[in-house]
Amino acid sequence: MSARTDAKSIWAARGAGSSTAYRLATLTPVLVLVAVFTLFPFAFAAVTSTRQMLLTLPDQTPFIGLQNYVDVLRDASTQNAIRNSLVFTLLTVPCVTVIGLAVALLLNQQIRGFGILRALVLLPWAIPLVSAGIIWRLLLHGDFGALNGLLLQLGAVHGYVPWLSSPSTAMYSVVVAHIWREFPLPAILFLAGLQLIPGEVVDASRVDGAGLWARFRNITLPYLKAPLLIVLIYETMISVSVFDLVYVLTGGGPGSSTTLFSWDAYATTFTFLNLGQGAALSFIMAAFLLVLIVAYLRIVRVDEGEA
Amino acid sequence: MRQSRLSKAALAACGVLLALVILLPFLWALSASLQTELALFRRPPNWTPNPPSLENYMYVFTGQVPHAYAVRGLLRSPITQEARLLPIGLVNSLEVALSVVALNLLLGTLASYTFARERFRGREAAYVFILGSRLLPAMAVAIPIFLIIKTLDLLDTKLGLVLIYSAFTLPFTIWVLTLYFRSLPKDIEEAALVDGCNRLGALRHVVLPLAAPGLAAIAAFSFLFSYDEFVFALLITSSTESKTVPVMVAAISVNPDASYTLIAVGIVVSVLAPIGLAVVFRRFITSGLVASMGRT
Repeated sequence: MSARTDAKSIWAARGAGSSTAYRLATLTPVLVLVAVFTLFPFAFAAVTSTRQMLLTLPDQTPFIGLQNYVDVLRDASTQNAIRNSLVFTLLTVPCVTVIGLAVALLLNQQIRGFGILRALVLLPWAIPLVSAGIIWRLLLHGDFGALNGLLLQLGAVHGYVPWLSSPSTAMYSVVVAHIWREFPLPAILFLAGLQLIPGEVVDASRVDGAGLWARFRNITLPYLKAPLLIVLIYETMISVSVFDLVYVLTGGGPGSSTTLFSWDAYATTFTFLNLGQGAALSFIMAAFLLVLIVAYLRIVRVDEGEA
Repeated sequence: MRQSRLSKAALAACGVLLALVILLPFLWALSASLQTELALFRRPPNWTPNPPSLENYMYVFTGQVPHAYAVRGLLRSPITQEARLLPIGLVNSLEVALSVVALNLLLGTLASYTFARERFRGREAAYVFILGSRLLPAMAVAIPIFLIIKTLDLLDTKLGLVLIYSAFTLPFTIWVLTLYFRSLPKDIEEAALVDGCNRLGALRHVVLPLAAPGLAAIAAFSFLFSYDEFVFALLITSSTESKTVPVMVAAISVNPDASYTLIAVGIVVSVLAPIGLAVVFRRFITSGLVASMGRT
């Protein structure tokens, strides 16, 4: 007890006088940098979104209240983008989560050579998202895609299929590329969760005659509850804001079949040069993501408190 | 209890399948980069380069035009000039990424140590603010940030990219390092303080050596983030002054006239650095990811 108090007083004594200056010096650069590029953009978008701001009319930026929001939400293209993002998210998040879990269960097995596999699994996640997208462009392209060549060789198709440029398959193409890119992260998180399960618990249940499914439901899943929630929220955020893949794979097309929300915001600002409406769209997206962030932090922080 | 031989074989087969799913797309890009465009257009294509040719790489790095393009016929003649810029982009990318790593190590370490060891008013608020901002996806704030960078007169500069990337990586760094510093035993630091070290001295001589794995993890993260980032790079760069590899590779790949073999070269060139890093830093990346995504 007394040793503890001594230690505390040492920290206090050393800190006294210089400590406020020290804290300011160490924290200010980071706080300023982060605020300039997160809080400020938020405020900036909020202000911009209440003005009519067209790059084609740079000198006239009247305040128009919530008109931009009304306009974009009424706009058929925004509604289409929201629908597409919803479909995309509903397809990718469950797939990424389930595949990530399956891969984690596989990697958790003690089999010779799986050490290499645990290193390989990082690769799709480590490379630039743009490169991952272009890799899939080489695989799915309608003129020279390797998948087409393979299917032709196997006799599954008679001619090349334009996976990326046909409205019925373009969305699924982006979904597949996204899953390939994203499954490593959940796999690693789930694997870390699995490694926390005490071996004795598993052995005991085996002795008790619990089947594979019973063991998974009653032992494995409860241990994975926290990572599962984190993965679901995090992957939802990633899917809602995905942009790079669309850029290199489909450019939002054909037509508007792969125009996701972030693509719509980008096109509104940089193709149609309507900064006010673009800001409104990005503010809507940021606000939606903020809700997810708060939920995420609650889970992580509660979890940290328990640890 | 031992698993039966049969189930082991089944699991190993699943492992092989997983390895193929991960590796085949990469290997196809590599194979395509070593072929001529004509061979790539065969249906089905040549799966392996026969014979492999480094001509596409020669073009990108020395400007020597591949033989295949001198032959006219089925080939569309244009080859992408943009591909010649890739080496410059690679240098830009490395400069930006390494600067961001340096800023993260310097500012991140100082701030995390303060968060980990000092008690003061507003600490919790500052910490939560930093943690929350780490999750904000680029696209949500990309447009306002473009306008801010324009106001600061930093469009098309590497400095602009370094500032943005630092702002997006520092929260992550601080989250990982604060947890790391907190997990270190206090008594050695206290001994150093008793011996007359000041706060910075204790950090430098005692804490940092112990925290080396954490530092390696955040260096790897900030490098990968900065090297891989696309949205901001696309918006604020416009010339070889600051264009990074992802922007250049994307430009080549969406150009309808671009040669597909050169696109493949672009892929290979762009993934080498991150793959090397991921393999070398694997352990640190994995443990850092697990620590940063929440104490699971």
